[in-house]
Amino acid sequence: MQLAEPSYVPENLVRMSGIHKWFGKVHALRGVDFEVNRAETVGLVGDNGAGKSTLIKVLSGYHKADKGQIFFEGTEVQLSSPKDARALGIETVYQEQALAPDLSISRNIFMGREPVTAMGFLNRKVMDEESMEALQSIGLSLRSPGLPINTLSGGQRQGVAIARALHFEAKLVILDEPTMALSVKEVREVLQFICQLKNKGISVIFITHNLYHVFSIADRIVVLAHGQKLADVKKEDTSVDNLANLIVKETMG
Amino acid sequence: MEGLRFKSLSYRGLNTIIAFVILILIFVFFTPNHLFVDPRNLASMAKLIPDIGLVALGVGVLMICGEFDLSVVSILPMCSYIFTLMLIGGVSPVIAFLITLPVGATLGLINGLITVKTGMSSFITTLGTMMFWRGVVFAWSHMAPISIQNYVPVGSFLNNLLTETIGFMPIQAIWLIFFTLVLGLILHFHKFGNWIYATGSNKEAARAMGVNTGMVKTICFMIVGTLCAFAAVMQSVRLGSFAATQGIGFELKAIAAAVVGGTSLRGGVGNIVGIFLGALTIQILENGLILMRVPVFGVSTFIGAAVIIFVMLNSFFERRMV
Repeated sequence: MQLAEPSYVPENLVRMSGIHKWFGKVHALRGVDFEVNRAETVGLVGDNGAGKSTLIKVLSGYHKADKGQIFFEGTEVQLSSPKDARALGIETVYQEQALAPDLSISRNIFMGREPVTAMGFLNRKVMDEESMEALQSIGLSLRSPGLPINTLSGGQRQGVAIARALHFEAKLVILDEPTMALSVKEVREVLQFICQLKNKGISVIFITHNLYHVFSIADRIVVLAHGQKLADVKKEDTSVDNLANLIVKETMG
Repeated sequence: MEGLRFKSLSYRGLNTIIAFVILILIFVFFTPNHLFVDPRNLASMAKLIPDIGLVALGVGVLMICGEFDLSVVSILPMCSYIFTLMLIGGVSPVIAFLITLPVGATLGLINGLITVKTGMSSFITTLGTMMFWRGVVFAWSHMAPISIQNYVPVGSFLNNLLTETIGFMPIQAIWLIFFTLVLGLILHFHKFGNWIYATGSNKEAARAMGVNTGMVKTICFMIVGTLCAFAAVMQSVRLGSFAATQGIGFELKAIAAAVVGGTSLRGGVGNIVGIFLGALTIQILENGLILMRVPVFGVSTFIGAAVIIFVMLNSFFERRMV
């Protein structure tokens, strides 16, 4: 459901304002303001328990904020389910929950949104062709769309998940720890895929613990700690060491 | 065909097919007087196998979506009993049959709702419903068998529909093939089939992509219930009676059939041809061993050994291929 509101910041794709979230007694998000501009890559960092995952789960419709507002393209929106978020063009690549390992690439890409012919039967031709196109558009070359995901490397799996987001014309792609547990080569692959998203004008939110990874591709970095925003800086205005000090100080203090 | 996944999981399909062929060859040659291929034996198998075959199809599909159903052993006699009561009450056989099918579906629906709403393992929930319905049917029927021959005599429409022989093929075998085709079409070529695999392979990913995994599981439970009802009536009409012991052993045989057919206990892996062949394999094994004069009570030892060997073979190949 969308309520009309005057839009006054045209470059703002998403604006979250005063977001609070409780889980029982735990106050996971304490009045967080967070925004993402068009074609901007924002790194969301902070230590464990800072609220990063919770914040993006609110944005992707997985959780509902207890207080606060969310604006998308200038208009206030209510996100009550992942479907609402996807309908707006917000695609999320979760950590463990992105892909089904036993299914093929094309079945994963179209999971829940299968192209069908009469009576709901799968349109295999479309699925296979469009999967390959989606992979190619981020620069991932794989032999066949019929390969099961569990035969792919970690980097390739992330590639498939990102290609899926791209294919469904996401305006905003949220990635939760996309470089976790990947080899050096795979990390580079994944960061390149993410750059491709930016080249296509898609905004990206990238959650990670690894400041070096985020530094290499983010335009802006937002630091969360204990459910609050600690810093919101352009990459040029800070350094990995500065951020690390900030996070550690907050954790210890 | 990507749907049947023979390319990447060929070892699973192969195992079952190879075992199937070997088994047939062994029994063709080693049963006394080649009784195995005697037309009467073949006809008898073709009439009997579909009882467990239908149930195995449902249980196998349910396993692909990640759940188990032990209660089939009780749903079957329950449906048979309700069918019988309707016949005694004067309901026409065809109507009684058509009512029994949704009764089976409802018993499956109950399994599905309990499992999905409580989030408990279906192994436990269907263990509970298995015992529950067994108690109900045992107490209600007082364990007394009831003849239904007068209600569904040879030559009547329902009797023909479920037990006739067309040319050389008993119609039960045709029904089994029919349901294999229908479920196979859905499982491998329909979007609902994709949801079944997705739910079994990574339920959270499926949910995150908008698949209603609770509904998928519940529908699979209902498919099992409906197939049990069909098999129950088919069996009763063939036997000419209701017996509270109908379906004994089916719960484990159905799972064994699915596993021998390459279905993974984890979910997300399996195919309809494998389940079909798995059901055939288990029953042919039983039939062949009996013909070879293995003591009837010892047959299950062989079947148990076969299942274990199959699971070991499947996981051995899985580790080598992936």
